[in-house]
Amino acid sequence: MVFADLFFLYFFLPVCLIFYFMTRNLHIRNAVLIAFSLIFYAWGEPIWVSILIISAAVDYINGRVIDKYRGKPQARMAVVWSLIVNLGILVGFKYTGFIMENVNSLLGTSFNVPNIKLPIGISFYTFQTISYTIDCYWGKVKTQKNFFRFLLYVSLFPQLVAGPIVRYSTIGEEINDRKTTMQDVSEGMSRIILGIGKKVLIANALSKVVTTCFGEMSDGFAAVSNISVAGAWFGAAMVGLWYYFDFSGYSDIAIGLGRIFGFHFDENFKYPFICKSISEFWQRWHISLSSFFRDYLLYLPLFGKRRKYGGLFLVWFCTGLWHGASWNFILWGLYYGLFILMELKIGKKRMKKWSPVFSHIYTKVVIAIGFGIFYFEDLGALGRFFKALVGANGNSLTDSVTTTIFRNYLYVILLAVIFSMPVIPKLKELCMKQKSRAVFIQAAGVVCNVAILLVSSIMLVNTTNNPFLYFRF
Amino acid sequence: MTEKELYKRLNEVFRDVFDDDGITVDEYTTADDIDDWDSIEHITLIGAVEDEFSMRFKMGEVSGMKNVGEMAKIIMSRGK
Repeated sequence: MVFADLFFLYFFLPVCLIFYFMTRNLHIRNAVLIAFSLIFYAWGEPIWVSILIISAAVDYINGRVIDKYRGKPQARMAVVWSLIVNLGILVGFKYTGFIMENVNSLLGTSFNVPNIKLPIGISFYTFQTISYTIDCYWGKVKTQKNFFRFLLYVSLFPQLVAGPIVRYSTIGEEINDRKTTMQDVSEGMSRIILGIGKKVLIANALSKVVTTCFGEMSDGFAAVSNISVAGAWFGAAMVGLWYYFDFSGYSDIAIGLGRIFGFHFDENFKYPFICKSISEFWQRWHISLSSFFRDYLLYLPLFGKRRKYGGLFLVWFCTGLWHGASWNFILWGLYYGLFILMELKIGKKRMKKWSPVFSHIYTKVVIAIGFGIFYFEDLGALGRFFKALVGANGNSLTDSVTTTIFRNYLYVILLAVIFSMPVIPKLKELCMKQKSRAVFIQAAGVVCNVAILLVSSIMLVNTTNNPFLYFRF
Repeated sequence: MTEKELYKRLNEVFRDVFDDDGITVDEYTTADDIDDWDSIEHITLIGAVEDEFSMRFKMGEVSGMKNVGEMAKIIMSRGK
């Protein structure tokens, strides 16, 4: 099931809320959430819900073992077991085909390359359960002694299928005891509507811009062969905005839903495009993933005296690989790692002396090319994209396709650019300074929310399939 | 080693790693207080502290340190 869907918005969610708020008993509320979360997941993955429950059961037991044998070898074995099971599940489902493909082309063998369907959300919930077990081992969280409460942490539908990768330390206390205030409901609702608007009104339109410029996987990215230089840069920038509005929209809905049920998830995006360095971009983009790799991978003592560079390579290799079983994702991860390394060598102090204009041009160019690498899963098409960027494909500087699509979608592009900046918080901050304005801004907020929900719902009537991009990771 | 001696030596390490003689750390100093102290330079810092105090941090300690006070506590218990 997806969030930006009329069935979810007007049936599943209201029914869930009715059952949830019918009682004040936390045990029953938790049971309602578990039941609805499992239904939510099983709706699209009736068989693979078992994998989710197995992953939860394994790490629940690991947590208990760690608690019982703290400081003993059994505790360490529980961590190893968690890694084997969760990474085994992840590699088995996500990377088997990719591994076989590369073995065949490297060794000239002809092993069967299985086409395994990826269970939704597997990259997210396996990371969550791993993080719980490691945090138990490090003594950062208290072991959860009730299996159903732990299952709630893993299966909680607001964050189940595409993150954020919520740490147990963030919501562990709230699983055991929480309250929903009117402010939680009001802000949660606004956040959900904002996310739906981002997805339905902006991201879906931007997807059309991108596929017109570049084509898509199913047609072999045919359009990129004919694109002009300006079109290639424009398309790459649009990929960035598309992914931002799609994924941050999803995260907004997840955070908003969490708020309504009394959970306070950490932010997953903080206006990444205002960054002045690539390091800063990654402190603002998909924060839950980068902080996962920072905490559990970067400091692995594997590389001796070279552990800074070794850790950096490992983090960016894994960041790329996590996004998909394809070389372009690995290339994309290492591409960012290279710029992080370069910035490390230059030093923050020197970079701060750069003019803001230069910093913004540098980061936006790097990010646009990065999204190009991310988009083209076919390496041949990626090569054609690189050629188009510098005009090496023999095409002109501009073309009619680009100018037409730019004109046709100008309103969406403008909206996307404006709302990718912290315009709303700045406006709120300005208006809240005067009480009379505060009332006005609150009323305007309600009107905007109703309008966004209405228009998005109308647009969803004609949409049959509306998955979020990060569902496939 | 007294706490005063520990902080004196820690100060030297911080000044060396971040190449800034103006740095003075106390138990409340965090990464936000020092310009270049990010997650990657944290590795350089940890390595330098380990060399200075002839000890090794565990990975969970490296990843979970919230301020210099936490670092100092660990050094006090295991450092030389």
